[in-house]
Amino acid sequence: MSIAAETKQQVADIGDKYKYGFVTDIEMERAPKGLSEDTVRYISAKKSEPAWMLEWRLGAFKRWGAMREPTWARVHYPKIDYQAAYYYAAPKNTPLKQSLDEVDPKLLETYKKLGIPLHEQMALAGVAVDAVFDSVSVATTFKDKLNEAGVIFCPISEAIRDYPELVKKYLGSVVPVTDNFFATLNAAVFSDGTFVYVPKGVRCPMELSTYFRINASETGQFERTLIIADEGSYVSYLEGCTAPKRDENQLHAAVVELVALDNAEIKYSTVQNWYPGDENGLGGIFNFVTKRGDCRGRKSKISWTQVETGSAITWKYPSCILRGDDSVGEFYSIAIANHFQQADTGTKMIHIGANTKSRIISKGISAGKAQNTYRGLVSVYGKAKNARNYTQCDSLLIGGDCGAHTVPYIESRNPTARIEHEATTSKIAEDQLFYCLARGIPQDEAVSLIVNGFCKEVLQQLPMEFAVEAQKLVGISLEGSVG
Amino acid sequence: MLEIKNLHVSVGDKPILKGLTLSIQPGQVHAIMGPNGSGKSTLSYVLAGRAGYDITEGSITYNGEDLTALAPEERAAKGVFLAMQYPVEIPGVTTMTFLKTALNSQRRARGESDLDAIGVLKLVRAKAKTLNVSEEMLKRALNVGFSGGEKKRLEILQMAIFEPKLAILDETDSGLDIDALRLVAEGVNTLRDPARAMLVITHYQRLLDYIVPDRIHVLARGRIVAEGGKELALELEARGYEHILKDVA
Amino acid sequence: MTAANLIRGLPEARRNEAAALFRARGVPHRRIEDWKYTDLRAALGEAGVGAVVAQWLVANLPAGVEMFDLSQANPPEWVSAHLGHATGNVMSAASLALSAGGVALRVPKGMAIADPLKLDFTGTGHVRALLVLEESASLTLVESAAVSEFRNAGLEIVLGENAGLDHVRLSPADAEAVLVEEVNVRLAANARYRAHYAAFGGKLSRMEVEIALEGAGAQAHLSGVSVLDGKRHSDVTTHVTHAAGNTRSTQLFKHVAAGQARAVYQGKVTVAKGANGSDSNQSAKALLLGENAEADLKPELEIFADDVKCAHGAAVGDLDAESLFYLRARGIPEAEARGLLLHAFLEDAVAEIADTDQRELVRVELLTALKAIA
Repeated sequence: MSIAAETKQQVADIGDKYKYGFVTDIEMERAPKGLSEDTVRYISAKKSEPAWMLEWRLGAFKRWGAMREPTWARVHYPKIDYQAAYYYAAPKNTPLKQSLDEVDPKLLETYKKLGIPLHEQMALAGVAVDAVFDSVSVATTFKDKLNEAGVIFCPISEAIRDYPELVKKYLGSVVPVTDNFFATLNAAVFSDGTFVYVPKGVRCPMELSTYFRINASETGQFERTLIIADEGSYVSYLEGCTAPKRDENQLHAAVVELVALDNAEIKYSTVQNWYPGDENGLGGIFNFVTKRGDCRGRKSKISWTQVETGSAITWKYPSCILRGDDSVGEFYSIAIANHFQQADTGTKMIHIGANTKSRIISKGISAGKAQNTYRGLVSVYGKAKNARNYTQCDSLLIGGDCGAHTVPYIESRNPTARIEHEATTSKIAEDQLFYCLARGIPQDEAVSLIVNGFCKEVLQQLPMEFAVEAQKLVGISLEGSVG
Repeated sequence: MLEIKNLHVSVGDKPILKGLTLSIQPGQVHAIMGPNGSGKSTLSYVLAGRAGYDITEGSITYNGEDLTALAPEERAAKGVFLAMQYPVEIPGVTTMTFLKTALNSQRRARGESDLDAIGVLKLVRAKAKTLNVSEEMLKRALNVGFSGGEKKRLEILQMAIFEPKLAILDETDSGLDIDALRLVAEGVNTLRDPARAMLVITHYQRLLDYIVPDRIHVLARGRIVAEGGKELALELEARGYEHILKDVA
Repeated sequence: MTAANLIRGLPEARRNEAAALFRARGVPHRRIEDWKYTDLRAALGEAGVGAVVAQWLVANLPAGVEMFDLSQANPPEWVSAHLGHATGNVMSAASLALSAGGVALRVPKGMAIADPLKLDFTGTGHVRALLVLEESASLTLVESAAVSEFRNAGLEIVLGENAGLDHVRLSPADAEAVLVEEVNVRLAANARYRAHYAAFGGKLSRMEVEIALEGAGAQAHLSGVSVLDGKRHSDVTTHVTHAAGNTRSTQLFKHVAAGQARAVYQGKVTVAKGANGSDSNQSAKALLLGENAEADLKPELEIFADDVKCAHGAAVGDLDAESLFYLRARGIPEAEARGLLLHAFLEDAVAEIADTDQRELVRVELLTALKAIA
């Protein structure tokens, strides 16, 4: 079956465009509503954290109180009342499970419905999953197999207890506690997330993946992910995100830190499909995320691939600090904004070391009344001899009520560096559509086909399992956008 | 005129030429044939003095002088001319301006006086006519928007204008249809001269039907593996490189 | 002719509005996003923008062009109608509020002026100018900016239907000068604005160009070169708004920065909702020749209509090694070959100047500036 036909089929099956919008009815335990020092202490206590971690959080909370929410992005939303949300919500009796058998069957059912099989025998071969449900990790699969290879793959709350030296050394070393308003908030109240450490010379034997699910209402999710690839190692990590359909806006403020040492490589892929709100712009997730990778070692490489189709508002700039000589940074992005969605996303490539290379491919698609912005920075420092960057930024508009914007900053302070940037804006050409229609392809399928073609360079970067899902998403996200 | 002895050349850390020896006398036309990746283009760039090609061993003597000690522009002034496989496009520099600048630079380096604008124009026009290079082409930016055939014709026009002593033609036949090839070859043949040596580098025998060489060298894996008269080209054409390479292996 | 003391023809309400805007925002500095690469506050230091009156000079008024000294009372209707159109631009507001003089010029309907009009700004302080081309009128405006300690000039241009203006601006090099100029152009249907800005930098030099393509079929073609050495700085910031359909804009800017110089280009193209058939192309390139030179490019697109063709490209690098080798292999010595390539790099932007004399003038200036670098 063609992708387009498959998309069509899928939509028909579900009878709705957002298939992850259900709510799991499960008994929850929550922190008291609102945000105070007590909230921070409550979360830390729930996680049985050591004192140093609590101190770190409290320091962040104090700083946050003095910070202001950023306003420079092209996104508009009502003022967020930070006291009106819950900062911790967890299914009762979840922590410290030893095996999947102890996990609440309702949760297993939820992930099954989401298409994320947690039972290892059912799992797709070669993908280990950490499932984060609201504020806690509920299951991590394939731990034993990974242990054999020496790879640590666990909830970050567990890492804080079991690998304090690693966490102390790297947490906040890429995204400092004071980096920005949302990152500082995250540092104070982060509840769970994934920790990965790949030891020297190890090629991680399977894809690692985290599946983030927001379920509880009026609750924010603040996950924190830390991935360290030690010298000469390699890891590919995937994340997926979904949330129920609700009329309220929920806040998701995550921080992801990647560290690649000498000759190490990290490939980080995201399919972000948080609930985008309805056709009238009601509800949806506010996705304010700070993701940054540090190519700390020589010849290290960090590659970001993202497919952003969800969220009412997306504010994220997965970046690379190319510190090590000969290091490489990549950013491949598809951002789709339909209806009233607003996306302001892009990357920063900071060339510090000599012979550093970066590549940015961004595909933005706007439809309905959505606003889609690419915002990027390529900065070459004085010592970054022979630095190279290539950027290609394409925007596709579907309909005359949406917006597509491109804001690249290019800064060079080294005469031997070369930076090239190209951007285009176009619409789905009438003749392309007509050609498809004339050959018997229905409109929505034709749109899906053309848009998938437009995004091909990025889709190719995704691991196989995700690529298929992403292609379907592209089609579903744009259902009914033409005609 | 040109003596290449035991030439070893590396690009980066990779050895490309591994002990090439070759000698060309004035008035002779030599052809270098070889499969892709044999080092043909490397040889032409080394002779013209392009940066990034490290001579690790051996020597190149041109009219008794160490050629490798000279900058590219000094070689040009002394009569070394390389017709490139991919002539470079330079937006913003008109072909006429380029020809005048290059011609007078070479003359100055030889202690001759500049030709004035009218003198250059006359010279260029006269030579352009025979090579079917239009006035309009001369006004355009150098090689920008030129077809493959136009670019090659312009290379040969430059050869006619600069009147080099040693002309190296790197894959001059590539990308040309038969009419364009004939035109270019005729241009080259009219430049054959008892005082001028030519080194014709090509993958195919086809060009050698039109520019008949005195001697053919087969280059493979960085060295000359076979030599002979013009009949060697026909043998290569008939039996392929594989066969010759096997014979010498 | 020099200016006297006050823009008497400016309605009080407009002056107050401008003054209020400038008071609220103050002198721009690098923490203001649009001024990230150009810190005017730091360059001016404690002296600030002051309130001194800069001068203007029109040496030879071509026959047919009307002129009005803005320090005079009782301005004609066309001056009060157009002078001081609010744009939200803070330095333009400053020049409007603080200028005590300036000049207004008009080319009447249907009149094609063959001789170029030369307008010079001189002296320190603020100055204003207004140029109105009525329907189907045409003119070449040649502007030169004499160096001074600090000058903020606000130039408003109003182009009627089918009017055509060629604008060439030359800004000489001066290591100490702080020169800011705002050019605001409004174009009616099928009007054409073609401009070339040649800049050689100052302690701080900023050219802010705001263009509104208000009528269908209006066109703006901008080009510019800057050649900078020492610690000189040059900033070209443009904002072209396609407010109507079937409008066209092109931009081609080339910068060469040597020594510790800094070249800045910020260009924003906005296509308003419904401005279908808009076509815009933007290209900004910089060559860095010095270890400590810097180039900052920010080509920005803001698109609210789908039936558009918009593209931009930007590149920073050094001279192409391949081309350099080709020239040297044909006998051209390295220094000369570099010079040739630098000229070639700048040439396509210079070639955009329609007027032959002006084009040659800019070429001569470039030659001098490039010699100083090489």
